[in-house]
Amino acid sequence: MGILIRDILEDSVKKFADIKAVKWLKKKDILERSYSELMDNVITIRKGLLAEGFKGKHISLIGTSSVEWIESYLAIITGNTVAVPLDAGLPAEDLTDLINRSDSEALFLSPKNISLLDGILAECPKLRKVWILQEEEPDSPNEKTASLAGLKAASANSSTDADRPAPDDVATIIFTSGTTGKSKGVMLTQDNLATNVLSVDYTTEPGSILLSVLPIHHAFCLVMDWLKGFSLGTTICINDSLLHMVKNMGVFKPQVMLMVPMMIETIYKRLASVDPAIPKMAVADNVFGGNLKIIFTGGAHLDPYYIDKFAEYGVEVLEGYGMSECSPVISSNTPETHKAGSIGKPLPNAEIKFENGEILVKGSSVMKGYYQMPEETAETLKDGWLHTGDKGYMDEDGFLFINGRVKNLIILSNGENISPEEIENKLALDALVGEVIVTGEDNGLAARIYPDQDVVAAKGLDEEAIKTALQAFIDKYNKNQPTYRQITGLIIRKNPFIRSSTKKIKRQEALIDEPLPIA
Amino acid sequence: MTQEMQFKTIVAQYCEVKPDEMNNDMRFREDLGFSSLDFMSFLGELEDTFDIELEEEDALKVLTVGEALELLERLQ
Repeated sequence: MGILIRDILEDSVKKFADIKAVKWLKKKDILERSYSELMDNVITIRKGLLAEGFKGKHISLIGTSSVEWIESYLAIITGNTVAVPLDAGLPAEDLTDLINRSDSEALFLSPKNISLLDGILAECPKLRKVWILQEEEPDSPNEKTASLAGLKAASANSSTDADRPAPDDVATIIFTSGTTGKSKGVMLTQDNLATNVLSVDYTTEPGSILLSVLPIHHAFCLVMDWLKGFSLGTTICINDSLLHMVKNMGVFKPQVMLMVPMMIETIYKRLASVDPAIPKMAVADNVFGGNLKIIFTGGAHLDPYYIDKFAEYGVEVLEGYGMSECSPVISSNTPETHKAGSIGKPLPNAEIKFENGEILVKGSSVMKGYYQMPEETAETLKDGWLHTGDKGYMDEDGFLFINGRVKNLIILSNGENISPEEIENKLALDALVGEVIVTGEDNGLAARIYPDQDVVAAKGLDEEAIKTALQAFIDKYNKNQPTYRQITGLIIRKNPFIRSSTKKIKRQEALIDEPLPIA
Repeated sequence: MTQEMQFKTIVAQYCEVKPDEMNNDMRFREDLGFSSLDFMSFLGELEDTFDIELEEEDALKVLTVGEALELLERLQ
């Protein structure tokens, strides 16, 4: 038994054929695709992948949200192929590493990221084909590079469609920050994804407007905006840039949106800056577009203060909880059942228990494992129970609450999970950096650095010169990083970090800067 | 209101610093406490208020109040 994403999509196309599935902006024009048009493209691309010999293979995608991206993604996961969505904002060397580590043999690449092409082709020997997510042929086509139209043309010569995958087949591999500094590929099966989509208790009228503002390579956006949205016959509108989020609320007039807490905090600053004499509903119409009723939020903790404040503007904020390893939703507040401060009741397909305060999850949406990381898989999945790394409890009404972390990850309010070790390894490359610890502070990342005293002495640097040199190094590091991995605070230590008996820096005491006792 | 004050009033929406206390060397993230999304939203407001079109990649390189003002003047 089990369900496929293909079952859900085919069912939606039958029911909602003429309803608009996706809307997006091209300059100032709104373009759109109906459910039946979307499905035609999905099938054509799927047949093309089969005709080009990619049955059973892994295929990466690099790009921000676009109709071409989602059609290609759906083509991959409704056939016998595995989709590997990657963060287009990562540095080129990280992307090539993930393409190689995921054993991807093909890539869909957004035209916006075309500058990555030569490097990827040079560094990823397993890659047999790159399709640019556009209809026009690329400027310098070669045997390895073609456009999406080229792939569709390949399917024209073949009437054979890909077989249906099995429910237990891996549908997608989603990379998530690892606590050891190396990101891990979460393997999610067809059944993992499909049961998550069906278990989230939310329905809406077909044709309801949803504005998608989260990064599409994230499980929360991919599964809850797109796959859940498609299952309900929603019209999903694409936000072309975070610069335009508020403007696009006015353009598309969404009824529902998914956000990370940082978005709610930013929008609230705009709401709160308006003259208090203006009625709140008029402000809401201006900022939210006039129809917004519900914001689902997850990925990080939301201060319940915002739930009350947004209610004053007629918008209900419903918090949920999840992680890529659980496809991703584990629990969620719903319009009917909610409690402020909690992360809602567990989904019907999720069993919860606690071990030393840590939340453990079992159920049909729990991942198959980490791709080619048996040790990390065994550490996280024990007897079918997923160790979340979060501490929490359940109240007498069955609502789940979180009250701490077991693992080292820094969770920013934009929902990004940051592995401090991953960044520390990069910062440690500068000769002046003797010891470094990255901490999450004021909604950003701070680097706490103890300068290398030999370098300081050799160069005769004073405090000001050390600060200038380290800030210049951090500015240079920041330039190549997506915003969520940038360092926004620099603290220069006077003393080395406190270390344990095994000589490891005691991370929890990183804020203490006192002379070490003489041994 | 001068353009600079109008600009700084928008900046002030996202932070605790008043427009007349802002100086051009202040960094958005480090000194004014902008989150990455505050900065994106702020850039969007600049586009709407001053009727300009920003290249996202260039705009995200801006670090200080002075640099943002310069960018604004360049695009007008």
